Amino acid sequence: MTAVETAIRPRPPFRWTVSVGWTRALIVACLLVAWEGWLSIARPSAIVQALFGTVFADPQIRAAIGLALTEVVSAYALAIAVGLALGLGIGASNFSRRSLFPIILLLYAIPQVILLPLFTLGFGIGPAAKIAFGFSHGVFPIIVNVVAGMQNVNPLYLRAAQAMGASRSDIVRDVVFPHMVGSFFAGLRLAMTMTLLGVILAELYVSTAGVGYFTKLFAETYDPAPLFALIGTLALMAIGLNELVRGIERRFTRWKS
Amino acid sequence: MTHRFSAGDAARSVLALDKVSLDVRQGEFLTLLGPSGCGKSTLLNIIGGLIEPSEGAVFVQDKAVRGPLPDKIAFVFQESTLFPWYTVVENFGIAFKYRGVARAEWQDRTAAALKSVGMHAFIDHYPNQLSIGMRQRVNLARGIASGTEILLMDEPFAALDEQTRMVLGEDLSVLLAETGKTIVFVTHSLAEAVFLSDRIALMTARPGRIKKTIAIEEAHPRLPAFMLEPRFSELRNQCYAALHDEIREAMAVESGGART
Amino acid sequence: MKSTAGARAVQLVFVTAFLGLWYVIGRTGAVSTLFVPRMEAVAAAFESLVQTDQFWAAARVTLSTIMQAYLIAIVLGVAAGYLVTRSRFLTRLLEPVISGLFAIPITLLFPLFILLFGIGPASKVAYGAAYAFFPIALNTIAGFANVDRRYLDAARSMGFPPSGVFRHVLLPAAFPVILTGLRIGFFICFASVLGGETISSLAGVGRNIALAAELMEPARMYSWIVVVIIAALLLNALVSAVENRMRRE
Repeated sequence: MTAVETAIRPRPPFRWTVSVGWTRALIVACLLVAWEGWLSIARPSAIVQALFGTVFADPQIRAAIGLALTEVVSAYALAIAVGLALGLGIGASNFSRRSLFPIILLLYAIPQVILLPLFTLGFGIGPAAKIAFGFSHGVFPIIVNVVAGMQNVNPLYLRAAQAMGASRSDIVRDVVFPHMVGSFFAGLRLAMTMTLLGVILAELYVSTAGVGYFTKLFAETYDPAPLFALIGTLALMAIGLNELVRGIERRFTRWKS
Repeated sequence: MTHRFSAGDAARSVLALDKVSLDVRQGEFLTLLGPSGCGKSTLLNIIGGLIEPSEGAVFVQDKAVRGPLPDKIAFVFQESTLFPWYTVVENFGIAFKYRGVARAEWQDRTAAALKSVGMHAFIDHYPNQLSIGMRQRVNLARGIASGTEILLMDEPFAALDEQTRMVLGEDLSVLLAETGKTIVFVTHSLAEAVFLSDRIALMTARPGRIKKTIAIEEAHPRLPAFMLEPRFSELRNQCYAALHDEIREAMAVESGGART
Repeated sequence: MKSTAGARAVQLVFVTAFLGLWYVIGRTGAVSTLFVPRMEAVAAAFESLVQTDQFWAAARVTLSTIMQAYLIAIVLGVAAGYLVTRSRFLTRLLEPVISGLFAIPITLLFPLFILLFGIGPASKVAYGAAYAFFPIALNTIAGFANVDRRYLDAARSMGFPPSGVFRHVLLPAAFPVILTGLRIGFFICFASVLGGETISSLAGVGRNIALAAELMEPARMYSWIVVVIIAALLLNALVSAVENRMRRE
């Protein structure tokens, strides 16, 4: 029993005849039915219709979605490359870490969204601004994780290595580096989340073309069905990317419990 | 007369206790002794009304126990259950809050109990400012201060070092002699059981049953000299002989063997 | 993180280099002043900005939007979190769902909020509240669900009624974890309201930043940005100080 339940009634636990999974499925089904029947705003059937009728059918919308995907992937790759390099540089020595890391953390604390108009002023309203904005979101978790990975090695491991006769460079190569790699992979998912956030924000802001144009169009002409459909597609894309990264993370950190 | 008569047969998805029947006499020190997982803690919780047995019942003075009885039964748990967000004295205060005890009275009882375990100086400290041993002594004092007739103690000294255990054991025996409380005590330690108890109920490995009861004729307060008598070793050996197979069996079950 | 004198020196060098670079760029005109206006221009714009009524009106709008969103998120998040932990079944059913929903970038749903609530502040309140709801609810669940069972046993054995258990055991035990959720929730409200205002809004700080960009008034835009940066850093410092003080108790 949960702690709370125990406090209230010390009865033996209810015999679950219904599994959690089935209950969830049932609830989802009920919600969908209720939505279809009662909520007048964008019935699920209308959404599905709009999905195939408008969103997938229109080549411009398809292109916009594809472009957004490309932007995310590019920004992500850039964030990883630069983040890794910067992280390694900053974490390389105690001094560099103590002097430079606080600067990174300071920048991390600023809500970057206010810089969005600035980015478009500088990079224009094309894909460059979105990639840049996504990059600037995703690079921070990578840096933070790389630096932390180089710093937080359990001192017991270091001592064990020393006892086995390892030199300083041996230790860096065989103990610190793998530890950093683990931390790096752990940060990949957060970096993906942040990159997505950055690209989406940028896309929504630029309402003259791309995904932002269509969301603004559907929202301001009060056309819910295609809006739901478009957002749903993008959400699935986001979830898909997340799962992909999670799969990669799992594959490379199998040695961790 | 305090007759606690529990014919408890507690079954959950795992059979924890199997047809346990126990009488506890007023003013006696009864120990439940058995291997790990034999259900002695579960039995204690049932006696105290924290768990409802799936079959059977507990009676205190011929009245059935259906839930906690803060005025009659106090618990002392294994690790300190002092609330870390309250100071020592606040922890005592809260124990009395829902029993309608007057402030002056519980403050007196608190001071007396803390002095008896030597922790009065720390009355305004927070639990995490104390060591584990100190915390457990305060925990014990809280049970004593409760003033209930019955104390249920679940391995209260397990987290303490042996020397502190011995000294506190002696103090507990003195308490029993002075106040005539009824104490049901759970422990792993054979020596502790023999030193403190009037009767020992030896339990089998899971599902727990009471295998045998051993009586110990020695007045409270028990003195350290008791441990040196040959009788002490004999009793201890008796316990070990009875429990040895159960202990082996409990270990085997843990390592993956199945009990028939 | 304690910095040595050397580290501090490096940081100082960075800051001065940054400002120096900015000044030099302004002087030489190496970068278009549309993108990087001259430092003096920004300073002047900042000074005049904070004296206008328009500035304070916008700040008020944004702050009230943030506070409304935050309050709603707290009430709903803590209530939902607590109610879920009242039953093991509910916890197993809903906690993964809430956690899974959080994985969808809520920012994507922003146009839906515009659709439903219009481009006034209401949509930003709803958006910020929806976004901040998740960490608050999840942390509340974690806080209440992970209360050590022994404290509850002890409380029951001492005769606590359910209200007493809540007040003296559950709440104090869960509080630190819930507080972390509240902190995260606040900063999410802060950032999401600003973001929402920047993207689509009638008033508020974010709107002003976007407007300044649209009207090609970079100096003014930079002044607004500086205002937000100062506010963000102050809030961060404040929260850290409060947390440190509480931890020391």
